[in-house]
Amino acid sequence: MLRITGGKVYDPANGINGEVRDICIADGKVVANVEGGRTIDANGMIVFPGGVDIHTHVAGAALNFARALTPENQRVAAKFMRTKDTRMGIGGQTPTTFATGYLYAGMGYTTVVEAAVPVLSAKHTHEELRDTPIVDKACCLLMGNNELVMDLLELGEYEKAKHTVAWLISAAKTYGIKAVNPGGVAAWKFGKDAKQIHSPIDGYNKVNPGTIIANLAKIVDELGLPHPMHLHCNNLGVPGNVSTTLETMKLLEGNRAHMAHLQFHAYGGDDWHTMRSESVQLAEYFNTHPNLTCDAGAVLFGNAVTITADGPWQHLLYQLTGRKWGNLDVENETGCGIVPYTYKGSNLVNAVQWAVGLELLLLINDPWRIFLTTDHPNGACFWRYPEIIHLLMHADIRRERVRALPEAALSRIYLADLDREYTLYEIAIITSAGPARALGMKQKGHLGVGADADIAIYNQNPDGELMFRYPRYVLKGGEVAVEEGEIRSTKDGHEFVCQPSYDEKIEDYLKPVFQQQYTMSFENYPVEAERVHGMQIAECSYKKPN
Amino acid sequence: MGGKVSCTLGEVKNRADFILYWGGNPAECHPRHFTKYTIMQKGKFLPEGRKGRTMVLVDIRETMSVKAADIFLQVRPGKDFEVVTALRALVKGNRVDTALVEETGLKLEQLQDLVDRMKRCKFGVIFFGMGMSMTRGKHMNSAALLTLAAEMNAFTKFVAMPMRGHGNVAGADMVLRWTTGYPFGVNLCRGFPRFNPGEFSTVDLLVRGDIDAAFVLGADPGATMPQPGIDTLARVPTIVLDPKVTHTSKLARVHITTSVTGISSPGTAYRMDEVPLPLRPVLKSPYPSDEEVVRRIIAAVEKKTAWLPLPATMASGVM
Ligand SMILES: [Zn+2]
Repeated sequence: MLRITGGKVYDPANGINGEVRDICIADGKVVANVEGGRTIDANGMIVFPGGVDIHTHVAGAALNFARALTPENQRVAAKFMRTKDTRMGIGGQTPTTFATGYLYAGMGYTTVVEAAVPVLSAKHTHEELRDTPIVDKACCLLMGNNELVMDLLELGEYEKAKHTVAWLISAAKTYGIKAVNPGGVAAWKFGKDAKQIHSPIDGYNKVNPGTIIANLAKIVDELGLPHPMHLHCNNLGVPGNVSTTLETMKLLEGNRAHMAHLQFHAYGGDDWHTMRSESVQLAEYFNTHPNLTCDAGAVLFGNAVTITADGPWQHLLYQLTGRKWGNLDVENETGCGIVPYTYKGSNLVNAVQWAVGLELLLLINDPWRIFLTTDHPNGACFWRYPEIIHLLMHADIRRERVRALPEAALSRIYLADLDREYTLYEIAIITSAGPARALGMKQKGHLGVGADADIAIYNQNPDGELMFRYPRYVLKGGEVAVEEGEIRSTKDGHEFVCQPSYDEKIEDYLKPVFQQQYTMSFENYPVEAERVHGMQIAECSYKKPN
Repeated sequence: MGGKVSCTLGEVKNRADFILYWGGNPAECHPRHFTKYTIMQKGKFLPEGRKGRTMVLVDIRETMSVKAADIFLQVRPGKDFEVVTALRALVKGNRVDTALVEETGLKLEQLQDLVDRMKRCKFGVIFFGMGMSMTRGKHMNSAALLTLAAEMNAFTKFVAMPMRGHGNVAGADMVLRWTTGYPFGVNLCRGFPRFNPGEFSTVDLLVRGDIDAAFVLGADPGATMPQPGIDTLARVPTIVLDPKVTHTSKLARVHITTSVTGISSPGTAYRMDEVPLPLRPVLKSPYPSDEEVVRRIIAAVEKKTAWLPLPATMASGVM
């Protein structure tokens, strides 16, 4: 039992905006009242629901590949010493699993979504998540280039495709699905890409990226998955890609969708020399289409490692940068590419990217539909979120930073014209309440009675960066996980999975196709339930409003 | 710079119409490789199987694998790096000195033919074995070959993959990466991971005698290490977990017999393409699994008083 008293509470899901009130906790949940137990005096502090990261890359084959590819990053990264309560590890661009848990919790984040999991290596992802302490977890299954599904769509077999998707989600023990460069990664298997939404994908007559996007969004809604289709659009990172993004959004009218790392999809211009921000145009469309949510995928200057299932994009980035390139194509399902990258304030393209991320966060007027992410570790590391919060809260500091950009960048961005400053209430929305709602996690992102007692308490400070970087207390499941900058409890979190229902006859169809196209036996393919540590099955109860 | 451009084995099965083995003898060392994953398989995009694929073998001597190859290129020992470098130049259309090529035991026309075939294929793959990565040039050879594969992607689809062996070496590599950030050669003596192959690799520590105890699991260093390393294992308390008697167990102070993982105890093995496979026991064993023994040792060690007198936090270096 525990009581937090005297703090200003920011609980947007329940409309509480900085009121001083007590939060009571028993058995890991927020309750109406408690007698006895510990009291945390939160005078002069602010009380937030624990952060929820809706899109990050912290575990699995791709990230582990990146770790091996960049030992030079690990060498200069923060070190985590083994202690009585904590395991050793390394922070930096691609933190080790134990360090990932400590770093997220140490920042007040208590739920994270690993955004890119192939079925074939899902066992590995779950093993890593098991070794990621404190935080609760969920993952998205890579689906936009699954050839089993694409082949069915080519044959016009929508129902079979739907049952296949449901079977694959159940087999991989994931929470939702993500489509990455739909069709483009499949085409990359023969060195091609898919740049036009409405042109058939290499090797197909009927299926184009648009077909995949529209059908998957519909499938997710019909299966009742709590989280909409998570979508990484075609032409990520390419000048002029805003037209692809807008075309894609139009395909989604009538269904839900979550647009991942929107910053990387909001560019105008014809080439790298004329690239410009199209955040205004994109935000205008987005603001009038409530079926969509998005995350920022903001960029900060400094070192990053780009990791994505978008194989063709990574090949281009390798050619542009001349740096190391990792690629791993996954049979019948997806791919992955890794290129270390440095965002420089003096580089015109990077300056535009930096501005676009912030612009979208400021121009999309409903904070319940845009969430704070950096597409870690693509745009910047997750542990740099407080830097972004600080910029969102202060227009003058943003303008000062804009002045340091190359002259040529100024006419290509809108950032200096934007006066909006985020309130603490809005910060609580984009870091916690909003993503929890978009994920359909009813027990997360708020502090009402019955909520999971995942709570971050910060010393109130005009410097947003300082305030959010070092929480005074972090509670996870009602236990004090972090106190005064020290990890106090490392109890493992849960992993949330969905098990949408499917027609069991689909296995009769899948089995022979599988034996032909895969290299392991069908029986070895699904992830065993025992492998998912602290598994909690979430309901598939979403219903499309009429 | 290069990197590592790879794929899972099913991609090879479904798509690879050009397969190059370099410095390996898969027919004898990976006997199921041809039939299960590569040349003999019918694939989604290669319905005609073997007929649709070209196989090239590069090695310093004729092995059993030569019979399976369409083209065999015999390289002089220690000249792999030179051949790869010449190929990289030819791929880019640069002039290559005939005389320099001939020092490798091959002819310029042979290399040009190889490059033409590589560029013409739809999906090329290079498998490289110990003969490539453990001879003169060592990791420089693998790095050059990986770079060749990366650079080929400017022309067509190309990937490369090492032919790894020794049980679950890929699995150990994976777990070390996610727990320490590094794949091997990790030193935890300071309470956090440090990586320096050549200094902290097992062979270096053993040869220098820099250890005062050894715990050996799923390996037989007593059979493969240089003599000074073996001497170290014999000198210090060495504990071996192994289902059978090995060279190492014979010189160990303690040998705990364990059940065979994959036969009598469950587990996970990672394939050479880093795809995890569940292992299911088919027989019962009177012996405990490796995992159970390790857990019991950890539990016993935890009963001892902590030796680390440090506060609960520690962060050094730069974020
Ligand atoms: Zn991402």
